[in-house]
Amino acid sequence: MTSALDSTDKLLGTGKRQVKIVVVGGGAAGLGAAGAAQGANPDAEVVVYTEFEDVAYSPCGIPFVHGKEIESFDTLFLATKEQYVESGIDVHYETTVTSIDPDTRTIQVEGEGQVRYDRLVIATGWLYADPGVPGADLDGLYRVKDIRRAMEWDKVLDTTKRAVIVESGFIAMEMTTALRHRDIEVTLVDPGPWPMSDVADPEIVEPVRQSWEDLNVDMQWGNKVTAFRGSGSLTHVETEKGEVVADLAIIGTHKVPNNPLAEAAGIKLGSTGGIVVDAHMRTSVDGIFAAGDCTEIPHGVSNVPLQGLSGSRAYSQGKTAGVNAGGGSREYRPVYVPWGMLAGEWMLGGVSFGETTAAALGIDFVTGIANGITRARYYPGVKPITVKLLADPTSRRLVGAQMVGGEGIKERADFLSMMTRTGITVDEIATMENVYSPAIGALNEPIAVAAQNLVAKL
Amino acid sequence: MSGTRKSFPHWLRSNSEHYLLQDSQAEIAKARGLPAPRPPRTLKDRFWRQVFAPVYKKLPLPVRQKAIQALPGSHRKDWPEPNYEKRKPAI
Repeated sequence: MTSALDSTDKLLGTGKRQVKIVVVGGGAAGLGAAGAAQGANPDAEVVVYTEFEDVAYSPCGIPFVHGKEIESFDTLFLATKEQYVESGIDVHYETTVTSIDPDTRTIQVEGEGQVRYDRLVIATGWLYADPGVPGADLDGLYRVKDIRRAMEWDKVLDTTKRAVIVESGFIAMEMTTALRHRDIEVTLVDPGPWPMSDVADPEIVEPVRQSWEDLNVDMQWGNKVTAFRGSGSLTHVETEKGEVVADLAIIGTHKVPNNPLAEAAGIKLGSTGGIVVDAHMRTSVDGIFAAGDCTEIPHGVSNVPLQGLSGSRAYSQGKTAGVNAGGGSREYRPVYVPWGMLAGEWMLGGVSFGETTAAALGIDFVTGIANGITRARYYPGVKPITVKLLADPTSRRLVGAQMVGGEGIKERADFLSMMTRTGITVDEIATMENVYSPAIGALNEPIAVAAQNLVAKL
Repeated sequence: MSGTRKSFPHWLRSNSEHYLLQDSQAEIAKARGLPAPRPPRTLKDRFWRQVFAPVYKKLPLPVRQKAIQALPGSHRKDWPEPNYEKRKPAI
């Protein structure tokens, strides 16, 4: 920490200069970092810069407001602007940080000039990958992310007749169902052979594909968008297999880290383009931490670094970075990536690898599958569930899991994630105990049955 | 819109990941009688699918792991190791 004072420095009662912790980014990681930094060092001055009008809302909830499952965008906000003022976190809205100078420990801020920091947390998040085709600047292309834009787009959806979903990323999958709930004709164009084919195995995602078929979604697997066309506004989308008339396109391409600022400051990036961090979320530059989707985190099973994880991980990483920036000590862990989502009428989920991703990396595995039910067979509301486990044939430990069902996916994904992390063998899982109570659990737990089926193959 | 310009490791990672996944999808689709993913069309597609993917898969696992470990990234920094030792009951 530098000891010289400048005109913007604040002094504590002891006459010592107040430590200044600056956070760039107001998403889950940025606000997690700001709150944790203040908790670790209540005397610190904590300042957050965001380009947007709002901070700390749940962008993952946007498709469900569009689909009318959630009544209002207001419910997606975690806290009001006044609450941040009251908690002592100084949030600068609609303010762009243009550069970082690690040598002088300053940042350049549009409208504010040079601003000093003692410790900096970069939480600049992610962007949708450029579809890389002509016409990507036309009106009518919607990238679901910013809540203010979502409020404007929601009014547009009232008059939208036909939409094209460009690739089946997580949010795009949810938007597919949401648009059908709004009675908008939907064409889904994806180069993969089945939905979410870079993540999910075909038999796991098949019920989702069927439910979209029931919702009259025009699914074009193995097809690719080649251009967006229109005069000012989108009128149709060109694909390798022909034209699709559309007044709206949802861009569902994969997440890429938003790192021009970090890269220009000389902070090391990894093979994913994410900022290289250690378990304390320290970057390659002293005094600078990073968290969330702009970073990459090693995978617990393969040690391959991963980027573009969900908000829950961004928030935890932000808290880790914030505690350490505040002078405390906290470690983050390699990730095992429990995931889950609602798609069509089904819940999908998993942990770590599926068969497609494990085979791509060249990992040896054996699978075990079980089809079960989520409650007693006679209890109202009982739903089917399929659990697929993958285990290493030598160590007999879990490599990953995938699931689809009517309910109970999230809890099983979290549970299997801890099983993978702690190295429990499939032999132990095959003999696990389970809750049996007609309203909430069946006699046979499908995880145990899948493990028994897997053990039988070893 | 794009995040950052691609370094060589970033270019290698994004291409190898994309095409190894396509290769894996093609094998799974073939084994289950499902529609295949888009076949290789360009010279670039052909190189990654028909040269890189088969060579990568022929390499022994320790060699592949060593290659992955050699790429720059967070996986080369300090992270807590998993603790797989047998644990005793709480009391």
